[in-house]
This record gives sequence, structure tokens and C-alpha cells, in this order.
Amino acid sequence: MSDVIVSVDQITKQYRGSQSPAISNLTLSIPSGSVLGLLGPNGAGKSTLIMMLCGLLRPDAGTISVFNLPIAGNETQARKKIGVAPQEIALFPTLTASENLFYFGRMYGLSSLFLKKVVPDYLDKFGLLPKSGKRVETFSGGMKRRLNLIAALLHQPQLLILDEPTTGVDVQSRNMIVDFLQTLKTKNTTIIYSSHFLEEAEKICSHVAILDEGNLLSSGTIESLKANHPECSTLEELFLKLTGKNIRD
Amino acid sequence: MKILATYYKEFLLLIRDVGGMAVIFLMPLALVIVMALVQDAPFRDYQELKLDVIFVDQDQAELGRKLSQSFAQSTHVRLISKNDSSESDRLVRNGTYKAAIILPTHASAALQEKTRQLIARVLHQAGLPTALPDSVNRPAVGVTILFDPAIKSNYKQALTGAVSKIFADVQTQWVIDELQSQLTEGESTHSTLPFDPSQMIQVVQKDAGENRNKGIMMNSVQHNVPAWTMFAMFFIVFPLAGNFIKEREEGSMLRLRLIGGSQLPVMVGKFLFYITICLAQFVLMILVGIFVMPLLGLSSLELGDGLGMVVTACAVAIAATGYGLVIAVFFKTPQQALSFGSVSVVILSALGGVWVPVYVMPEFLQMVSRFSPLQWGLESFNDLFLRHVSVIHILPNIAKLLFFGLAALILSVLIHRSRTIS
Repeated sequence: MSDVIVSVDQITKQYRGSQSPAISNLTLSIPSGSVLGLLGPNGAGKSTLIMMLCGLLRPDAGTISVFNLPIAGNETQARKKIGVAPQEIALFPTLTASENLFYFGRMYGLSSLFLKKVVPDYLDKFGLLPKSGKRVETFSGGMKRRLNLIAALLHQPQLLILDEPTTGVDVQSRNMIVDFLQTLKTKNTTIIYSSHFLEEAEKICSHVAILDEGNLLSSGTIESLKANHPECSTLEELFLKLTGKNIRD
Repeated sequence: MKILATYYKEFLLLIRDVGGMAVIFLMPLALVIVMALVQDAPFRDYQELKLDVIFVDQDQAELGRKLSQSFAQSTHVRLISKNDSSESDRLVRNGTYKAAIILPTHASAALQEKTRQLIARVLHQAGLPTALPDSVNRPAVGVTILFDPAIKSNYKQALTGAVSKIFADVQTQWVIDELQSQLTEGESTHSTLPFDPSQMIQVVQKDAGENRNKGIMMNSVQHNVPAWTMFAMFFIVFPLAGNFIKEREEGSMLRLRLIGGSQLPVMVGKFLFYITICLAQFVLMILVGIFVMPLLGLSSLELGDGLGMVVTACAVAIAATGYGLVIAVFFKTPQQALSFGSVSVVILSALGGVWVPVYVMPEFLQMVSRFSPLQWGLESFNDLFLRHVSVIHILPNIAKLLFFGLAALILSVLIHRSRTIS
């Protein structure tokens, strides 16, 4: 764990018509090969930060560098190395699982030959091979989430961004996804993992960044954060201590 | 490769959407058939319908006989004889008949007398030894044509013109007869010189055509098939914008935006696919025009220059798809896109002469219609199908359609790109 793969320097973003910034003066570094848990209550700014890391949103102030290149102006190059599994199921419901993966693979510029090899592999790994010819609209929530994740992995990205990848899935599917992410850790893929499941985050992540109302409250390795707050034995206790117990909209 | 992948993906999405397929192919089919059937009567109105006209002949002499003889040969007017002018007035007023011709008593005698007076005056002024005209100036012979207030003005003009022409021919014959009679007064043997107006001047109706003299008469099929086919092609905005916004809402568009590289292949792939759909619609409609319309008692569609037709169909398809793509990327919700798309296509088609011919529109609208792509397309089809022009003649309209379509494609790519990063 050494090089910084993502560097966020004092970025601020305020949406038009909004009273307060979605992200305020945020600075963060993500080391290569790490798994960063991006944690925060609703409205903390996690999805906004993810959109900016992908180059789909531009900060009002500050800079973001990915792979040592400023993302602004280098979106195309950066996205080739980034895989994103967005919070919504970003698939074509009336296409089959295979058709979806082949189409997105082609759009990544992957060859037909390569896709014929990797698509069945991934489908098999995620328990979807028997259903590869079925339309996505017939899939359960868990199956869709798994397929959504595969679509982000096809081009073998160096940086994988997962926005709440286990939301709305059953225990088995969640377990499968978590197991797979742990195997990815061993392959030096950097992962940014946004979730409300703190127990899960504690299991997967090497680093965490806790956000609330657009501000970065704390970041670092889980061990270092716990060491700074010895009264908190779990990540959830630490999270509640930092963000409070008030209900968010 | 990306373009082909997108093209294939669009194909899969469409064939799995039965409702969408129906909207794309069956609805326009129903539209073109219904419109051709509905508009068949108005088109026949002008060209084929026979108008029943009451004829009250109170004269019972030469003028009435000539009128009856002439209209007996007419394909457009059939005289129905009645004796009572007040009954005729009632029948026309209540719309049972569209018109009534009332020839008053002694009309022939009065016209003959006026003719005799006229000739006598002419010969007298020329110094020829003939009897002096009567000093009594008789009034003009009054022939009344009653019209149903609901009748179209072109019928009025046509019937009035026909009656006037028949009477003018009769009077010309009488003028010749009277001249002969007065110039040969006193001679026991003179024969009447027959007068045939068709030997003097012939007015021939002929349809102008660049390549052929055949000339296809404008009928419901010739107008409606190309017109509503274009309308249907422009309605590609419905599936195109619908699918595009659905992809945006479902998230698959987000994934495409997250993939590095230009969005151009995505847009071009969609563009090419929907152009193919438009062309498939066109082929289907033309086949319906040729083979199905005759089964419904309508005329068969007659085509013009084949190359011109293909070029026009491609240009219209490009313009229609480009327009649909702009609507798809510009509007954020399906409601906005589909409402605007459908209403705007109806407006463009109305301005383009799909509903009523451009030449009957007010001058201002005729000027505006020059900016409707549907007008460019329809004008090209009319040029090809009715005027039998060659492809060279329609090139200006083709250029406009292509420019419109490609400009729309570029605009939609720019809008889409501007929304990829915000």
C-alpha cells in the first residue's frame, strides 16, 4: 500500500437552488490497493463525491486527481480504468444477462473473443450462469445487483467504485458480493465502497472516510480511527459518535 | 464496432417490445388506410362525383333542349327534371339537391328576338339594306341557378360556367342563323350553316409531366400514402424518445456515460437503427398503397422515379430520426418529450401540407410551410409520383432534408455531451 491512486483536494460542490453545499472543502487521499469505505448518513454527499470521482460532476472549487491525472479534461482516459456499479440497476431490463454484458463490454471496446471468455466466467462466479439467457426484468433484486457489479468489472478496472452495492439484496447475495470483493482486495484493485452497512464495511474495508452534510468528519484506517476513539468498540459506535443520532431526511 | 453493438442492442430492445412494434408499424398502417378511405370521398368530390341538379324547364323550347342534351353527355352533372320552381327552391334549400337551374317561360323566344335585334342593328349600321331594329330594348333573358348554401364555391363556378357556355354556344348558332337569314332575305333557297364550336377552338386538359404524358390524377391514395407515411416516419419520435428517456431513467444510460470515450457511437447507432425503422415503415406503407388499397376499393398507388423515391425516403428518414433524437436528448421526462414531440409533428405536418394542400393556406402560412421538413418531403413525393420528375428536380428538397437531419444529429450529440458532465 503506497501510491495514492485518488487525490481529492479541497473540493466544494453546491447544486443549483440548494441552500448548502453537497460537498464542502473536502480533502481525501486513497492509497492504491486499499478498500475505502465511504460512510455517511443520507445526504452526507457520498453519491456526489462518487459522481465527481467518475468525472460526471465537476466540483465548483478544488481538484480531483485519479491515477495522477486531474479528472477534469481527462475523463475518458480515467473512466477506462474505473469500474462503477451505481446505486441504481444500470442494465437493460429486456435484454438477457449475457446480452447486457456483451453490449457493455463492446462499449468498453472489448473484443468479442475476450467477452466470450470472461462473460461466462463472471456469470459463473456470481451464480448467474444458468440464468444467462434470461431477461434481466425477470431477475430478483439480488441477481440484478450481482449482474450490475459484473458489468462494472468486465474491463478489469484498477479502481472499482461501488455505490451501495448490497442494498436490497438477500443475505446470500450479499455474502457472495462481499466474498468476491475480498478476493479483489488480494488482486491490488482499489475499491471505493459506499454503504450504510457498517458491519459489512468493517469486514471489507481497510480505510474509511466518514462524511456528514458534505463535510469529511474523519478518515484513515479503521484501526487508527478506533485508536483515536477508544470508547468505541465497533465502527457503528464510532459512526454514531461522529454523525450523531438525529434522523436524516 | 460500438455503433454496430448499439444498433444490435436497439434491435433486440425493439423486437422484445410488442407494444412498441405495434406503435411503429401497425398504427401508421391503420392511419394511412383510414385516412385514404376517409379522404377518398372529398377527392372524388372534385374528380369523380356526379352532381344531381334540378332542371325546371318552363321554356319548353330550344334552350331547354340544348341544356338537357349537353348535360346528358356530362360526367359531372345529371339533370333531374321538375316542373315546380317553388318545390325546387325547397329541395335545394333543405339540401336534398345541391342546385337547380330555372329556365323561365319564353326564354328561347326572348333570346332569339334579342339576337335578331342585334343582327339587324349591326347590319343597319353597316349600311346594308335591312329592316330597322325595334326601338324596344328588351331586358336580358334571366336564367336562375339556385344553390344550396352549403355547396362549395368551386361547384358554383363550374355549374354557372357550364350553363353560360351552353347558352353562349346556342346564341352563337342563332347569330349565324340570323345573319344568314337577314343577308339572304327574299331568296327562296338558302341552307342553314351548321355551327360546331369544337371546330373553332379546342381546350384540352392534360396533366403536365416531365418524363411522361401519362399524368397520374391526384387521388386519395396518391396524396395520403406518401403524406401519412411521412407523418408516421416523423412519429418515430415516440419510440425513440420514449426508449432514450427510459434508458436514462432506468440507469443504463448512466452506465454508458460512465464508460470512457465519446458518446457519438451510442447516438449514431441509435440514429442508424431508427433510420432503418423509418425505411421499413416506408416500404410497408408503399406496399399497402400498391397492394392493399385496391382491395379496399381505392386506386393503387402509382410510383414515379425509383431512384428518386429511394433517395427521398432516405432523406425523410434521416430528417425524422434526427428530429426524434433532438427531442429525446433535450427533454428530461417522457411526458415532456412525447407531448412536445407528438404535437410538434402534428403542427409540422399541418404546415407541410399533409392535412390540406399548402396552396389553400393563407399566404403567411404558405411562407411558414417552406420551413417544414414534411413539406420538403411531401413536395418531393408529389413531384415524383404525380409530376414524374427525375431525381435532379427534387435535389434541393433532398438537400434541405439531409441538412436538417444531420444538423439535428450533431445538435443532439452536443446536448447529450453537455449533460454527461455537469
